[in-house]
Parts: sequence; C-alpha cells; structure tokens
Amino acid sequence: MGFTKENAATRAKDDLAKRLKIDADEIVEKSISDKEFPDMSLGAPAAGEFAAQMIAYGWIIKLEAVGKTYEYRADKYQIRLVGFSGENHVVV
Amino acid sequence: MNRNNIWIHVGIAVVLITLAGVLGQISRWKSSLRQASPVVKTDKGISGLSVGKGVAPRHDPEVLVRFKPGVSMDKIRSIASVNNDSLADEIESVRGLTVIDDLDNADAAAVARQYSAMSEFVEYAEINPTIKLSEPEQSPSTTQAFERPLAADAPNDPLFGDQWALNNTGQDGGKKRADLDALNAWANTKGSEEVVVAVLDTGVDYKHGDLMGNMWTLPAGLSQYFDDELGKFDDLHGFDGTNNEDTNLSVRGVGSGGILASDPMDDNGHGTHCAGIIGAEGDNGIGISGINQKVQIMPLKFLGRSGSGSTNDAIEAINYAIQRKKDGVNLRIISASWGSTARSQALEDVIKAAGDAGILFIAAAGNDGSNNDSRPHYPSNYNLPNVISVAALDRNDQLASFSNFGVKTVHIAAPGKEIVSTWLGDNFREASGTSMATPYVSGIAALIVASDPTISMADLRKKLLGSADELDALKGKVATGGRVCAANAMGNVVKKHSHQ
Repeated sequence: MGFTKENAATRAKDDLAKRLKIDADEIVEKSISDKEFPDMSLGAPAAGEFAAQMIAYGWIIKLEAVGKTYEYRADKYQIRLVGFSGENHVVV
Repeated sequence: MNRNNIWIHVGIAVVLITLAGVLGQISRWKSSLRQASPVVKTDKGISGLSVGKGVAPRHDPEVLVRFKPGVSMDKIRSIASVNNDSLADEIESVRGLTVIDDLDNADAAAVARQYSAMSEFVEYAEINPTIKLSEPEQSPSTTQAFERPLAADAPNDPLFGDQWALNNTGQDGGKKRADLDALNAWANTKGSEEVVVAVLDTGVDYKHGDLMGNMWTLPAGLSQYFDDELGKFDDLHGFDGTNNEDTNLSVRGVGSGGILASDPMDDNGHGTHCAGIIGAEGDNGIGISGINQKVQIMPLKFLGRSGSGSTNDAIEAINYAIQRKKDGVNLRIISASWGSTARSQALEDVIKAAGDAGILFIAAAGNDGSNNDSRPHYPSNYNLPNVISVAALDRNDQLASFSNFGVKTVHIAAPGKEIVSTWLGDNFREASGTSMATPYVSGIAALIVASDPTISMADLRKKLLGSADELDALKGKVATGGRVCAANAMGNVVKKHSHQ
C-alpha cells in the first residue's frame, strides 16, 4: 500500500514526535495541501541524492510543535522532512 | 629517482601513510564521538538517527576516492587497511577511482578529509551519501489516454494520435507541427535493433507488452558481468546498481553458484516511461510508438522505488555500460532523466570515461524553472564533449514553465509536457518533465545511428544539435535556440509531411 494524505500526516507526526522527543499529542497539524513537485525527491533532495526529473504529485504537511513550524512532503512512495537541522531527510 | 635512494623514499612513504592513517583515525574517533546524526543523511525511521560505532548492522561504502596514477591496487588496499577501511569496489572505467568502505562507520566527511589529506597518493575524495528507500508498494494508477484517428501513414499504435510530440496535429489545443516530425524521419529509418540505448533510471518493465520486443538481453556470446570486488552478476536483462553497497548478500539475492541477482525491473514507473519514449515497439497495434519503432533498450537501474538514487550507484551503472561497450555491445547512448544540484567529481569522471568509450550522455536539464548558467544542475551541467543537456517544451513550442534553461549550459529542447508513454503493469500514462524531453533526444540520436551506423560520437552530437528547429521562445534560453527535430537529423531538412 502506498501512502495517502491521511496516513502520511499521521506518520509525519509520529516522526516529528520522536525527533523532538515529545508526545504526538503536543503536535498540531497546521495544514495539508496538494502540491505539484518538480521531481521525485519532492523538491527536497537529501545530500548527494539524484532524483528523476518528472513532475510528481503529493502533499505538503505543515506541523507545529514547541513554537516552530515543520514541513513534511509526501507522495504515495515516500515522506520527507524539509530543512530539519539544515538538511532534508528521507523519513520513509 | 636515484636507485640508491629508492628504499629511503619507500620508507618515508610508508611512514607518511601510517602517520596519516593514525592521525586520521584519531580525528575520526573524535568525529564519531561528536556525531549526533548518521553517516548516511537519509533516515529510515527514527532509529536510524543514532548510528554509532558497532551499532549499524552493516556498513555502506562512504567515500569515493580517486588515487593518483601509479598507486597500485595493493597499495590502495594497504592504505585502506591502515585506516581500518576496506576497498569495496574499483570503478574499472576510471583509472584509480575506488569506493572505500569505512569499517568504523565514522563520519563520511571526516573519512573523505582523511583521504584528501593524503595528497601524495590521492587526487580527490568525496562522500558518497546513500539513499535508503521503503519497501515495494502498489503500482501507481494510470491515466486514460484518448484514442484519435490516425494519420494515413502513421503507425497503427492506438495511442499514436495522443503523441503530439511525434506528430502535432493541434490536438488538445496544441500548435500544429510543434513536434519532432517523426513521420518524415521515419521515411528514412524507423530505427534499428542493432542500436543499443541505455536507460539509466529506475529500471525498465522489460515485460511490458509494448516494450518487450525492443529490450536488450545479454547476447549469447557474452559472459555474465564480473566485478573484481562485487562478484558475478546475472545481468540477462541489464544492470541493477541499487544494492551494490549491501555486503549482506541476502539483501540482493544470490542465485546458484553465488551469482548476484541484477534484475533491473522497474518498481517506480519512471524508467519505463522514458524507455517507451525512446523505443516502444511501433506499428504493433499496441499502445504507443517510440521515436524508434525498433531499437534495443538496456535498463541500468540506479534509482530506487521512490525515484531517487545515490552517486555511487549511478557510477557503478555507468561503469557497467562502459564495460559492456568494450565487450562489443553497440551501446551508443546513455539517457539520463535525473539530476540535482549535487556535484560529484567522480560522477563527472565516469561520464567522461563513457565519452572516451564513444558513448553519448544525454541528460535532463532539471525542473526547477531556473537558469543552469547561474545555478548548475548535474549531470547535465558537466562541460564534457559527450554531454547534451535537454530542456522541455509544451505542445505549443513554448518552454515548459517548470523547465530549467541556460544559454551556455543547456543545449537543446524537446517535447516534455503531457507526454504519453508506457507505465508499469502494461499500462500507459501521461507525464511531464525534462525527464520526458531527454529520451526524445536520446531516441533521435539512436535514429541517427540507425541510419549512419559508423558515425562518431562527436559527429552524432553535432548532428543532433544541428537538427534544431529554431524557436523564438528558446532564443537566449538554450544554446541552439531550438527544438530537436528528427526529420532534420535524418537529413530531411524541409518538412515535407502534411500533418493530418
């Protein structure tokens, strides 16, 4: 099964909770929006990563915790965390 | 060197290597202690965040190191051993280029710095970030394509009427003749099964009904691929570089006689789409026609299931292509519909080696809508005589809004928006990107080779770029100022065909 908008958001929340070492209930889902990304890294390549240059469709998931906003990007294949500690991360 | 002093020099060299190794090791231990994030920047779950010495179940090769001429493989192994590293692989097509596996799982940047400091032996060292991906999931859904009446001399493929890139009749609001003029090109040749094009990508669904007749398979006279470090590969259908870093062979799969599985079956769909653009079987009553109705497509898989991949896997796959070319496979073109802003000297070196072997490397310019002259995109920006960088056009001969450009660094444009092609599971779908434009240029290169089998790589590149139909929209945007044209490339300079 690929990710859906809903289960990608849940997975992103779990991921952020573990990274910040907080309870998932402390994370607020600010928005989830459909998005056209420039490539298959969802416009968020990890260091040294190459991506297929095909327009990809997915979602931007914005989460808020401890006074900060965090951006996840997802499609049916993957979930990425953008610019966390200055780097992009492939979560799944 | 004075022969009387040779042992003094050798002794000094050994002392320097040992000293560098010890100092580097100390530095790496310190780095490991400081390290809060993993060597590999990609996380597989949160548990992947705390990789420490001895914790990881296996080691990925972290560093690409190119040694200077004259440094023997024995010496390289010795240097690696002193550093508590191992030689994971030698990239045979590039002299001195190796993949080094750090057995301490220390910070890759620290390992690279350690090797860079050995300037007596090392030309350069760079980190090799690897990308871990999730397990296979279901195939993407497909879009319905609309079948249209065919032109009289068009192939009988039912979706040909949707292939505006090959024959733009103004369908769906497009501009008539804003196309590659395939029908006129096909008056000269429809391709040749003697020509091999490598699709360096997510693999190819080589069982797709509209592709299987045009897929490359290992010729009977050639032995299975053998790599000194990695072993023997079952490369019947091509090469899969995505698992080479796995020292745990059960991950890759080992067949009888210890032969490594190398199945380049596509698990994403992107590579299959690109392959169909180059060479879906034409006039077979199924789906679409490639710009080549006949050709051989060699899948080189290095992008994983999500469509991303690592530098080292790309290098391994290109190295395979070069070896097969040297073995006598008529591989003339590598089609590379991928990229990023990450620059790698090692990748540039292996692409140059491909050029030295007579292989043209055609690369996507990228989809950020930006200027590659000022914000480079790789591998398309490598300034090598075998590289062509490709921008994307829409069905109105306008630069696609997403397409990168660059009058100094992007050479030519091709249709790349709303392109119908093959997809996983015997399906067809539309897709957009410079990914789609690139295989059209690769495919036209294959057509040229089909009509002129002995053409040199330099002349092939010249002919491709010389085929461009100049467009106002591309002036100041790409070097040729135009869209590639198959008919022009075939020498049919005047568009004779009346579009229907």
